[in-house]
Amino acid sequence: MNNPYEVLGVSETATDEEIKSAYRKLAKKYHPDNYTDSPLADVAEQKMKEINEAYDAINEMRQKGKGTGSSGSYSSYSNASSSQFYNVRIYIQRNMIDQAEQVLDSTPMGNRTAEWYYLKGMCAYRRGWSEQAFNNFTTACNMDPNNQEYRAALNNMQNQRAYNYGGYNQTNVGNQSTCTCCDVCTAMMCADCFCDCCRMGC
Amino acid sequence: MFGYLQVQKSELLVREFDAYKSVYCGLCKQMGKDYSILSRLSLSYDCTFYAMLLMSVKRSCKGFKDGRCTFNPLKKCKYALAESDCFSKAAAFSVITVYYKLKDDLRDSGFFKKLITRIIMPFFSHWHKKAVKNYSEIDSFTSEMMDMQYKAENNENCSLDKAAHPTAFMLANVFALEAENETERRVFYEFGYHIGRWIYLIDAADDIEKDRKNGNFNPFLNAENNVCNLSEYMTAVLNQSLARAYDAYNLIDIKDFKGILDNMLLKGFPTVQNRVIGKRNMEVVNE
Repeated sequence: MNNPYEVLGVSETATDEEIKSAYRKLAKKYHPDNYTDSPLADVAEQKMKEINEAYDAINEMRQKGKGTGSSGSYSSYSNASSSQFYNVRIYIQRNMIDQAEQVLDSTPMGNRTAEWYYLKGMCAYRRGWSEQAFNNFTTACNMDPNNQEYRAALNNMQNQRAYNYGGYNQTNVGNQSTCTCCDVCTAMMCADCFCDCCRMGC
Repeated sequence: MFGYLQVQKSELLVREFDAYKSVYCGLCKQMGKDYSILSRLSLSYDCTFYAMLLMSVKRSCKGFKDGRCTFNPLKKCKYALAESDCFSKAAAFSVITVYYKLKDDLRDSGFFKKLITRIIMPFFSHWHKKAVKNYSEIDSFTSEMMDMQYKAENNENCSLDKAAHPTAFMLANVFALEAENETERRVFYEFGYHIGRWIYLIDAADDIEKDRKNGNFNPFLNAENNVCNLSEYMTAVLNQSLARAYDAYNLIDIKDFKGILDNMLLKGFPTVQNRVIGKRNMEVVNE
């Protein structure tokens, strides 16, 4: 195993508080909620495991004997065994999208249930075809509005469409006033260019 | 199709901005060395981003050197020094993509643009041959992309996903070249895919009113009938690509220039996006 301090990105002389906050920051970054349905969910899970182990190791070394208590595993498919598309789910879980789609496409029209649309959407999502995924998830939710699984997938996509990552806030997009922040910014940049030309670069 | 991958200068630290500039200048210098002084003009922000990413994951930046700008000898600048072939690779990427772009322009653009393209094409053909020698993978991904793109755009009911796929797929494969194992390959692939998708879609969003007037293909024009507010729809689709790119980015082991790359993903790209959508909103209001 790597040096646990390196895994958390802190120096060995860091205080307990610093380590805790570094750990929290990373745990937030790799949190499985950020990777629901993502083809990289397993990679994030692995990273999460690494930082959990590193944090535990540091705590042990510092003789606190306190664990994170968060080493549980996250399983994505709760009702998998009762599903009529059990094999499709297994394919998707293993990232074998071509095989999954093959089974789905050979399903007769009459059997295309809400779950079918959900899984079809999941295949598209894994491929990165977000629009198709979004439409299929929407159809699945409309057909079976009470299903938590479909709803969660749709919500996840809606959050991405609002891109509220990293504290970025998407207001003022439709702002049509004549002098926006952008204009000020551009003006400043132009001014700076002139400065650079005259070798007084600021 | 170039120049959307920018930093947001106002949010960078001064030393970060200096580092960014010196990577840009270092890449420019490399293009002069590998190809010719004229090829330097094809340098774009996108390739700088690519060079930056390569240098970051390979930890190949070995300091900075003072020098002077070839185009403006009065101006002093710093060049980043890179171990391994990060700059050469990014330079080749730039030449190859511009070459195919020009080739595409020859197929569908107006008289004057065609004329200019014809004049500069021989230079790029020559440089392109040189670039292919060392980086044939990048070339095959790009040429495959152009074929796929052509086919996709000539298909009448081409969906947004299908239209964006060639560019996304190309960048995904190019980024995936850097991976050292299968897990890394998947992460780089996903990151490249959504950055590429975003580049294609932001370019489409930028050109939508022009394409409408000229009757050119634009994926958003096909989608227009099904949505009530096109600008909001474009924003949602673009956000989605950035969000997924950012998730993949978080799983990459970023070693150097983290502040700069974070700035690009969280502030630079969204700012460019807001500017493009905002510009379109203004155009629509003015009409």
